[in-house]
Amino acid sequence: MNRLFHSVTVGVTGLLAVGFLLLIAALAFELWRASGACAPDGREVFFAIKLSLATASVASVLAIAAALPVAYLLSRYHFPGKALLDTLLDLPIVLSPIALGALLLVFFRTPMGRMLDAWFGPFVFEVRGIVLAQFVVVVGLAIRLLKSTFDGIEPEYEHLARTLGCDRVQVFGKVLLPMAAPGIVAALLLVWGRAIGEFGATVMLAGATTLKTETLPVAIYLNFEAADISSAMMFIAILVTVSFAVLLLVRRLDVRAR
Amino acid sequence: MRLLLLLAPLLALWSCTQRRASDARALTVFCGSASKPAMEEIAAGFRKETGIVAELIFGGSGTLLAQMELAEKGEIYLPGSPDYIAIGERKGQLLPDADRIVSYLVPAIITPAGNPAGIKALEDLTRPGVRVGLGNPETVCLGLYAVELLERNQLLDAVLANVVTFGGSCSKTANLAAMEQIDAILGWRVFHHWNPQRMALVPIAPEKIPRISTIPISIPVHSRDPDLSKRFIDYVLSPAGQAVYQRYGYLTEREQALALAPGASIGGEYSLPVDYLDRVLVMPRGR
Repeated sequence: MNRLFHSVTVGVTGLLAVGFLLLIAALAFELWRASGACAPDGREVFFAIKLSLATASVASVLAIAAALPVAYLLSRYHFPGKALLDTLLDLPIVLSPIALGALLLVFFRTPMGRMLDAWFGPFVFEVRGIVLAQFVVVVGLAIRLLKSTFDGIEPEYEHLARTLGCDRVQVFGKVLLPMAAPGIVAALLLVWGRAIGEFGATVMLAGATTLKTETLPVAIYLNFEAADISSAMMFIAILVTVSFAVLLLVRRLDVRAR
Repeated sequence: MRLLLLLAPLLALWSCTQRRASDARALTVFCGSASKPAMEEIAAGFRKETGIVAELIFGGSGTLLAQMELAEKGEIYLPGSPDYIAIGERKGQLLPDADRIVSYLVPAIITPAGNPAGIKALEDLTRPGVRVGLGNPETVCLGLYAVELLERNQLLDAVLANVVTFGGSCSKTANLAAMEQIDAILGWRVFHHWNPQRMALVPIAPEKIPRISTIPISIPVHSRDPDLSKRFIDYVLSPAGQAVYQRYGYLTEREQALALAPGASIGGEYSLPVDYLDRVLVMPRGR
């Protein structure tokens, strides 16, 4: 029975890994086949990489920052309407990104949306819109992941720290956060990965403008729309490489930090 | 980890502050993404000539119309086909009678490069085993034009039997050929010029083409400066603008287009046969 269990775990892992490697091999084959075709403009490629890294990073850091207190509240307190609030905050996870993008677009027509525009500058069809779209898409996921992390930590430690004279802020900063650090890093990675690949909400709110709101997924979309398969494949390869490299780097940094 | 947390907001801050030098006069162009290469060149030429920045937002024609409506923005709307002008005008999103024709679209058979199935004429699409792709006539006018063309030539049922997929938009239909997912599609001649390395053109006999389409351009009702919109349209239709479209394989002259389809009407509406869905459903498929 033990051997069967082992075979299943190793077998399924191997199959999935091979499956993903085959996808990457297909991409490499397509790129090799298209090696004679004209490549996308270098400036456009560099811009898309820069913009994707920057917007995904800020959106995911903001999402984690916003999710920390919310996840703590949902994990540690019971209050009337909690189930309703929990469900409401889950909505961005289940709603399709294009629907979220359309909702944001509609929101910026309202007096409240216009007020935000006046305070922070325009969001619609601007880079700020990309960050906002990515934030809205990933914040629900961040809350869910961090709540699971907090749920896994015994409240007993916090009670103990309180009896030793720590106030709530100290308990949160000196006891809970260090214990939750691995979970927070894992959440940040997942959220960042989701943000850098975000397309539907981004293209709806920020539009697809070359060298302005052209993230890597937008560049892939634009090249497919122009039937430029070779360039689209190159952008896909760049997205795969950049995402893989950043995730691997952060994992290694995190392992070293521990 | 801390390094990353510090770096990320800095990166983002840098990005958010990367604003383009915006001129006092600028216009937003909602542009069907198929026109991207030509319009980028035209926008650059317009800026050089006038100093005015034309910011191009690309996408599918329907999505762009919705974005324009929701954002209440836009000086120019350039969809991929005239039916979106009709929809936009019906919804009160476009200035009535402001539309002009940028170029003409003539139906053609488009195959993957090298035409591996050896398609030479419309009738070849009925050959057993040929895998055909069409635009979805319920979502893109390219599909309507294809169905009308096949019906007019009494080939609709026979070709439908070979249809393995429908593209949801012009570019998605073109990509069926570019990615070698089918043996042939019924598309526009210009598809071949979008990517000649991946797509081949098989002309349709001129007398068999009942209708040709156009790429129109119009002015949204929310335009902040309709005079500027008109100025941009004039530039697109000027010899300089038309030369750019011609370089990308578009037919900009009515006579050029009619020479390829002398009996064809230009634009106008065609309704699917009332039993179209039944005919699609009963057709054997799945090769």
